[in-house]
Amino acid sequence: MTEVSIETLTKHYGASLAVNGISVKIAKGEFISLLGPSGCGKTTTLKMIAGFEDATSGAIRFDGQDVVHVPAEKRDIGMVFQNYALFPHMTVAQNLAFGLEMRRRPKREIAERTARVLDMVQLSGYADRYPRQLSGGQQQRVALARALVIEPRILLLDEPLANLDAKLREEMRVFIRDLQKRVGITTVYVTHDQAEAMTMSDRVVVMFGGQIAQYGPPADIYDRPASLEVAQFVGQVNILSGRLLSTEVNDISVIDTALGTARIGNMPRSADGAVTLVLRPEAVELFPESAGQTGVSATITASYYSGSLIDYRLALDSGDIINVQTFPRSRFSPGDRVTVKVDGDRFWALGAAA
Amino acid sequence: MSLRAKSLKPFALIAPAVLLLGVFLVLPYINIVVMSLRNPGSGTPYAPGFTLSNYLRLFADSFYLEQTANTLMIGFITTFACLLLGFPVAWQLAKTQMRFRGLAYGLVLSPLLVGIVIRSYGWTILLGNNGMINRTLISFGLIDRPLGLMYNSLGIVIALVHVFLPFMILPLMSALQGIDPSIEAAARSLGAGRVTAFRRIILPLAMPGIQAGCILVFVLSLSAYVTPSLIGGLRVKTMAVSVVDALVDTFQWPFGSAMALMLSLTGAMMVLLFARLTRMKWKAN
Amino acid sequence: MFRHLLTSYCLMIYAFLLLPILVVVGASFNAGAFLTFPPQGLSFRWYVVFFHNEVFLSAIKTSLWVAAVSTVISSIIGTMAAIFYVQHAGRWKESIRLAMLLPLLLPEVLTAISLLFFVYSIGMGTRTIAAMIIGHCLITLPFVFINVSAAMESYDPAWSLAAKSLGAGPLTRFRRIMLPLIKPGVIGGCLFAFIISFDTFTISFMLKNVGTATLPIQLYDYLRTNFTPEAAAVSTVSIVLTLFVVVLSEKLLGLRIHRF
Repeated sequence: MTEVSIETLTKHYGASLAVNGISVKIAKGEFISLLGPSGCGKTTTLKMIAGFEDATSGAIRFDGQDVVHVPAEKRDIGMVFQNYALFPHMTVAQNLAFGLEMRRRPKREIAERTARVLDMVQLSGYADRYPRQLSGGQQQRVALARALVIEPRILLLDEPLANLDAKLREEMRVFIRDLQKRVGITTVYVTHDQAEAMTMSDRVVVMFGGQIAQYGPPADIYDRPASLEVAQFVGQVNILSGRLLSTEVNDISVIDTALGTARIGNMPRSADGAVTLVLRPEAVELFPESAGQTGVSATITASYYSGSLIDYRLALDSGDIINVQTFPRSRFSPGDRVTVKVDGDRFWALGAAA
Repeated sequence: MSLRAKSLKPFALIAPAVLLLGVFLVLPYINIVVMSLRNPGSGTPYAPGFTLSNYLRLFADSFYLEQTANTLMIGFITTFACLLLGFPVAWQLAKTQMRFRGLAYGLVLSPLLVGIVIRSYGWTILLGNNGMINRTLISFGLIDRPLGLMYNSLGIVIALVHVFLPFMILPLMSALQGIDPSIEAAARSLGAGRVTAFRRIILPLAMPGIQAGCILVFVLSLSAYVTPSLIGGLRVKTMAVSVVDALVDTFQWPFGSAMALMLSLTGAMMVLLFARLTRMKWKAN
Repeated sequence: MFRHLLTSYCLMIYAFLLLPILVVVGASFNAGAFLTFPPQGLSFRWYVVFFHNEVFLSAIKTSLWVAAVSTVISSIIGTMAAIFYVQHAGRWKESIRLAMLLPLLLPEVLTAISLLFFVYSIGMGTRTIAAMIIGHCLITLPFVFINVSAAMESYDPAWSLAAKSLGAGPLTRFRRIMLPLIKPGVIGGCLFAFIISFDTFTISFMLKNVGTATLPIQLYDYLRTNFTPEAAAVSTVSIVLTLFVVVLSEKLLGLRIHRF
C-alpha cells in the first residue's frame, strides 16, 4: 500500500510539451483513472510513473521518496500493458514466475504465490498453457496476475481493456475493480473510455493537452464539470445560455433559460448577467403535450432507440435544440409535440464552485 | 545516469558494425581509387607519384575496349536469359500455398548451398567437347560434331545463368506474391483477356521485382570471377578475370585497380540507364 | 493444360539448376581415371585417394575453422546491429540498412582487391590469416543482419518493457526474453554465414596468406591442371558437409520454432 505523489511533472519531446506541470496526490489503496482523448498526455504520465520515460522536470514520490532517477526495473511496480505483452516463449506459470525470479524468491515460494494468484484470477489449471493458447480475456487476466504476483507498490494499467469486445470489457471492469479492492493496491489506470473511468475509479483525473482539467470523484466530474471540455468529454451534455434573474439567500442564483428556471449555488459573477449552463440529457422529463404538464413546449425531431434507453433530439419552440435521454416508458416519434420539464437544481454553471 | 549518457547507450550496439565497415570496407574503397591513380611500378606493385595513365590505357588499347564490350554483352545476355527462364518459375512458386512457401524458397536456394567452384566445375564436365552434353547429343545422333560450348562466351553465359537464376527468381517471386490475386480477377471481370491482363496489370505490378532481379543478376555477372575463369579458360577472359590476372600474376596494382573501377563504373552506369528506361516506360503506360 | 505445362517447365528448370551438382557427385564415383559422365563403372577409389591427400584434408579443416571464426564474429556484430536497426534507428533506418548490405551489393572482386591493398598499406598484409577472416566477416555480415532484423521485426518491444517492469536488468532482458524470441533468426543468420564463408572463393583467394588454403581455393588450383575425378570426390564431400550443417541446424531450429 503505497502513497503516490506527482509534483509538477513535466515532459518535453523536443519542442512539444506532452505533460505540462501536473500534480496529483494518490492515497494508499486508491484507484485513480487518467482519462482523456489520445494525445492528452495520460499515457506519457503513466510511462513516467513506471520509469519507461524520463521526466523533464518534477518529482514522483512513492511514500515520500522521489523515484524520478530510479530505473524502471528497481521501482517495484506492476504494469499491465495494452497488448498484455505476455512472453510468448513461456508458459503462464513461467510468465508469472519471472518477476519473482528477478526478486530471487525461492522456488517453493514462487510455486505457492503463482498458484494463489492464478486462483485469484480464476485461471487455476492454465499454468502450463502458452499465451497463444488463451483467449483475449484469459491473456488479460494472466497479465493482471503477472503484475500482482510480485506484490508491487503500485499497479499501473495502460488501457488494458482496449482490445476486448464490449461484453468482455464490461465483465473485466468489474473483475479488475473487485480484485483491486480485495488486494488493496494503489492503482493508476489509463483510459480514453469515460464509462470505464467512471465505473471503476475512486477519483478521476481528466486531462487535456498535457494538463489536468479536473480531478475528483466520478460524481463531481459528471455533475459538476469544471469546464465545457470536461462536460463534453464525459457523457453527453446540453449547453444553454441563461440570464441572471436574481440572487437568493445562501448565494443561490436564479437564472432564466430556454428550459425554465435554474437555481445554481456559488456561481461566478459575470458583468452582464449572461451565464453558460450545462444540462445532462437524462435530467430532462418528457410528457406528451396533451398531458397538460407545466413546462416548455418542444417538437421531437429524431429518436434513437438502444434497448434500455431512448435518445431524443428536440426542437424547443424557442428554437434551441436539445438532447434528451429517457427510459422507454413512453415512446415518442419524430413530429410529436411534447412538454419538457427540468428540475431547477439539475443545471450546472461552468466555473461554479462545486 | 545522466540523460545524455542514457540516450547514447544504444549506439554501442551499432558501433562494432560501423567500425568494421568503415575501416575495412569504406577506407579500402577510397584507397583503391587512390591506387588506380598511382604510377605503375616495375618490380614493385606501384611507384610513387600519380597519373591518369592507367585509365587512358584502358581506353586506348582496343583489347580492353573489346573486353569491356564482351563482358557487358555477357552480362546483358545472362540477365535477359535469367529473366525469361526465371519468370515462369517465379510465377509458379508465387502461386504455391502458404505452407509450402518455405519449401519453395528452399528449393530455389538449394543450389546456392553448393560452392561456386564446385558448380563451375560441374559445368566444365558438362560443356567440354568431350563433355556430357556433347557426348549425349552425339550418341543420340542429334549432332555430328561437338558443339563449341567451352572456352567461349556461350559457355560462360550458360554457366552464369545457372549460377544466378535463383537471384532472379527470388525477387520476382517476392514481387509476384505481393500482387493481390483479386486484381487479376477484377481485370478479367472487366473484359481483359489473359494476355492483356498480364501485360497491363501483372507486369507493371511485378516491375519492382523485375528491376531488382535484373539489376542484381547484371551486377553479379559483371563481377563474376570463378565461373568465367574456369569456363573461359585462357581464351576468353572477362574483365573481372583480367583484373585478377593483372594483380596476382603481374602485380600491376594501379592498372588492375583502374580496370576494376572502370568495370564497376560501367556496370553502375548501365544499371542507372536501365532504371531510367524502365521507370519512364511504365509511367507513360 | 497450362498448369501442367508450367509445372513441367518448372521441373525442367529445377533439373537444370541441379544438373552440374549431380554431375560432380556422379563423376566422383567414376572407376576410371577420367572425368566422364556417365561414369565408366562405379568405385570409391577417388574418395580413398582424397582421404589420403593431406593438402585437401587440411584445406577442409582451414575452411571449417575460418567459417566458424567469421560466423561467430559476424553473428555478434550483425545481431547487435540488427537490434539497433529495428529498435533505435529512427530516421537513419534506410541508411543503416544500405550500409549493412553494402558488402553484398558491391562486387566481391572489388571488395577483395580493395581489402588486399588496404591491409598492405596499413602494414598488416597477408602474413597472417587475419586479413582473410576480416574479408569473410565482411561478406557474411549482411546475411546475419538480414536474418536477425527480420526476426526482430516481429519482436514486440512491450516484451522488453514488461520484463523491465518486473525487475529485469538489460542483460537479463536480452538473455531471457529477447534472445530466445529471436533465436531462429540468429541461427538462420549463422547458418547462412557459415555456408557463405565455407563456399566463398574470391575473397579467400585474394587475401590468403602463404601456406593456408581454403577448400574452394585448393579445388580451384587443382582444377586448373588436374583432370582426375579426385576433385569430384572432394567436391562431393564438401557438399555433404554443407548438407550436414544445414540438417543439423534444421534440427536445432525446428525444435525452437515449435517451442512457441
